[in-house]
Amino acid sequence: MSEKWNITLIITRKKGDETPHTQAFPIEVDPDEYVLDGVERVWAFHDRSLTFRHACHHSTCGACGMRVNGVEKLTCITTIRSVTQNGGTLRIEPLRNFPVISDLVVDMGAMYLRLDAAHFSQVAPLPDTGLPFEDDPATEDPQFERLVDCIECGCCISACPIATTTSTYMGPAVLAAIEHRYRETSDISLLNLADGEDGVWRCHSAFECSAVCPSNVDPGWRIMNLRRKVIGHRVRRFFGIQTQEKVLR
Amino acid sequence: MKNASSPQNFLRWFDPRYRQIGTWGFILNRVTALGLTLYLFMHLIALGQLAKGAAAYDGFIALVENPLFKLGEMLVIAAGLIHGLNGIRIALNSFGIGTRYQRVMFLGLMALAVVGIAIFGAKMFLFS
Amino acid sequence: METIQRTPTREKTGLWLYKIIAGLLIVVLLGLHFVVNHLVAPTGLLSWADVVAYYQNPIIPIIEIIFLIVVISHALIGLRSILLDLNPPARLLRYLDIFFVLLGIGASAYGIWLVMVVVSFGR
Repeated sequence: MSEKWNITLIITRKKGDETPHTQAFPIEVDPDEYVLDGVERVWAFHDRSLTFRHACHHSTCGACGMRVNGVEKLTCITTIRSVTQNGGTLRIEPLRNFPVISDLVVDMGAMYLRLDAAHFSQVAPLPDTGLPFEDDPATEDPQFERLVDCIECGCCISACPIATTTSTYMGPAVLAAIEHRYRETSDISLLNLADGEDGVWRCHSAFECSAVCPSNVDPGWRIMNLRRKVIGHRVRRFFGIQTQEKVLR
Repeated sequence: MKNASSPQNFLRWFDPRYRQIGTWGFILNRVTALGLTLYLFMHLIALGQLAKGAAAYDGFIALVENPLFKLGEMLVIAAGLIHGLNGIRIALNSFGIGTRYQRVMFLGLMALAVVGIAIFGAKMFLFS
Repeated sequence: METIQRTPTREKTGLWLYKIIAGLLIVVLLGLHFVVNHLVAPTGLLSWADVVAYYQNPIIPIIEIIFLIVVISHALIGLRSILLDLNPPARLLRYLDIFFVLLGIGASAYGIWLVMVVVSFGR
């Protein structure tokens, strides 16, 4: 028989123009279930008006990013055991730095549009998918493709101290996408995009994005790598040297 | 404070709750930056006493020998060490050096800052 | 009718790179300052006569003036970076930029004047 815990979910609610408020839901859970299972149980048995995003339940769609006890988590892969204890509470809040549409659902439209501008591709040849310093021989064959690591969950933007005050800042996910795409294509226009006023120079090295990323994207590393690329390109341009374009596969 | 991005949320810059070590780097850098900028302009104004001749400047120095000023001076040294050493981390990371080890770099550099602060503190308050 | 305002250049590679290089230069110059003040001159250059005598070595005023300009510019560009994170409207940023440039030039000119006055006392 599985273990049973009694916990209380304290969920931030907001409909329309309401001021956000919290509502407590005591529920019984198996601690090895995931936080998203708890939220779904609240919806199924306590309040059908609770809104939240979810789809795949296995960390591929990136829909269920929420703040759990203050920290950004992909709730479908966060076990209840890892974030509370028997008799404990779980504060479930919407991601920050995005407008709230309803309860735990935020509007991530701006991030999607920026990812689009960065020509973010969800699929890439194997050698281009992971982080370049990862020594993984399984990712060396360029004839195969796979989904890239970023699942567009928005956790990094929620955790970023700069995105908290600046809506125009591209944010870690988008800058990471630019870095990724640039390594793949060597398209100079991507460096120009990142060098814009809301790009790579707005980061102030808190590395919160990398700390909360549930999918091994390491946006903080990518922003720093992108800086290096932009500086290199600008210095070369200053001395009249052409930046080498990579030969596309 | 708003859930969406807004300049009104600026107090969150200084809120380390639920965040990891990098936020301490961010907070310390921002607070020391503001403090050091204020000090820079106060320092420039105070040094204006040099132009008024020996009596004015030496009188001013006698005033800052007071322990309250010494404590302020200690804060400036601490802020300078923290900002300077953390700045080295930010600069190196931004040129792609040691980015994967930024956490260890931050802790190491801050340990160095603490040692520096202790040395200056001892020098100013124990052996002066 | 309101004319379309050109968006001022916020922080791009040039300004950011200057800020970082200036920061590293400050670390070096401040280190030098501590060595000179606390090792070479153990009393810490605390009297007016000591300061004036110290400034008679021609390399000192040159280093101090470079240090002054680098510190003021690093501080003001840094302060501007913090204000940029508050997303100021373009028009406000333009006024802020004028203010920072005037403050930077004013403070630098005042500092250079002060260095020159101190040097002249020893002549």
